[in-house]
Amino acid sequence: MEERNNKIQIPVIEGAFAYSPNDGGPRLVGSRCTNCGKKCFPKREICPNCFLDEKMDEVLLNPQGKIYAFTIVRIPPPLGFEVPYAYGYVDLIEDDLRVPTMFIGGKLEQLRIGMDVILVIDKLRTDKEGNEIIGYKFKPIEG
Amino acid sequence: MTQFGKHLEKGLRDLGREACWRAIKDAGIRSDQIQAGFCGNALGGYLQRENGIGQSVLWQVGIKGIPIINIENACASGSSAFREAWIGVASGLYDVVIAFGVEKTVMKKGAMLDVGDADLEVKIGDVFPGLFAMRAQRHMYEYGTTLEQMAKISVKNHRNGCLNPYSQYQKEFTTDEVLNSPMIADPLTLFSCCPNSDGAAAAIVATKEVAKKLSAKPVKVLASVLGTGLYNNKKDMAIFDLDFKLSKEAYEMAGVGPEDIDLAEVHDAFTIAELMHYEGLGFCKVGEGGRLIDDDKTEIGGKIPVSPSGGLLSKGHPVGASGVAQIAEIVWHLRGEAGLRQVANARIGLAHIMGGGKEGDVGACTIHILEKVNEF
Repeated sequence: MEERNNKIQIPVIEGAFAYSPNDGGPRLVGSRCTNCGKKCFPKREICPNCFLDEKMDEVLLNPQGKIYAFTIVRIPPPLGFEVPYAYGYVDLIEDDLRVPTMFIGGKLEQLRIGMDVILVIDKLRTDKEGNEIIGYKFKPIEG
Repeated sequence: MTQFGKHLEKGLRDLGREACWRAIKDAGIRSDQIQAGFCGNALGGYLQRENGIGQSVLWQVGIKGIPIINIENACASGSSAFREAWIGVASGLYDVVIAFGVEKTVMKKGAMLDVGDADLEVKIGDVFPGLFAMRAQRHMYEYGTTLEQMAKISVKNHRNGCLNPYSQYQKEFTTDEVLNSPMIADPLTLFSCCPNSDGAAAAIVATKEVAKKLSAKPVKVLASVLGTGLYNNKKDMAIFDLDFKLSKEAYEMAGVGPEDIDLAEVHDAFTIAELMHYEGLGFCKVGEGGRLIDDDKTEIGGKIPVSPSGGLLSKGHPVGASGVAQIAEIVWHLRGEAGLRQVANARIGLAHIMGGGKEGDVGACTIHILEKVNEF
């Protein structure tokens, strides 16, 4: 948790993102089984492919991907996200992994299956106590 | 079953009692002849802050002392309760048992069902219709399925609902009215989604020997299967992979094929879901679900009537009750007691329902296949 402008910031999941030692950019943190190579997000203790528990390593995931599917929500959900918003799934390139995500940037109606997108860290919503829930989103890559 | 709908003045116990009492009277047995009870309820602990609903409801009809268990499998709670009842009788442990489902999900206008936020999906914006909306998007993308085809399923089911006194909705809609109703999550509109509902349904399950002596026409359980989502991270979202796996098991268990099914009740919580279940249950090839509805094949008078009750879309979806209500509907058709919505010469019926979600996939799914009994 951090405090900023008297508001507490809480990550959506502890340890779900980190910053790359190479370019300082944000990365999702997943698990990689050193026995079979299977990657998972969010992190897991036990590999669902080979069922071993001592072989799971943390791994920084590729921040780029392609949109697999999405929808635009128009009615406010119980958690209080501001509508309209888009969410769906991204297929990360090279990691052979699909992750759920909110989409931002530009007009929601311009999102398309197959669009190239990149990871950003952003506020997801404000909870009932006024805390900012910080999460990840993907946005279209320009150009 | 009770009529599904808005029952503000009735609680879980009232609804449950009504359904259970009807089943008991239909079978012509006494409450104290029942040897075990199986209750399906998904959200009572959260929405009504009640536990032990099975025990509470069955005490309403005078049942005490016997083994009673409460089952939560999301939308498949009721059908899972029915399955446990069947296992109890088929295993030889009990001669006659009761299975029922009850739920109250009617909320203030415009409120979406809140099912907690344990899953990452929900934390980043997932809503109940959202995953289905994405499946619709992929199905349209891969197979050219249209918005009109999906809307036709709602039109069909609401029309069927007008023939069903138990249906929450008693109103027909045109394709335009479905398409132009408020958008919930693109491309699913309000009338592409099932409503929140209150209601209950119950069934008596017994051995052949006991069933012979009861006052109502019994129906035979040919197959009962339960499965869990396969959680394939990069699954094809345009199909329900679990449907294919489970329907194969169910057909093998029953010794029939999809072509032998005379009517089906499926998990039509959203129009696209029914369309995809046509494919997953083998009523048509993958990608051809749109054509099946276009060709009127799933109407009551069609080749494979689906949702003659009006389905979840029109009849309503009190989550824990729906699985048992589907079975009640099939039973009525097999007995020839389905009134205006009767499917002609119904001999074999299929009930399919799925519930819950995790990582964009199904939680639990059940399929039951029932057969008319002509004589013992």
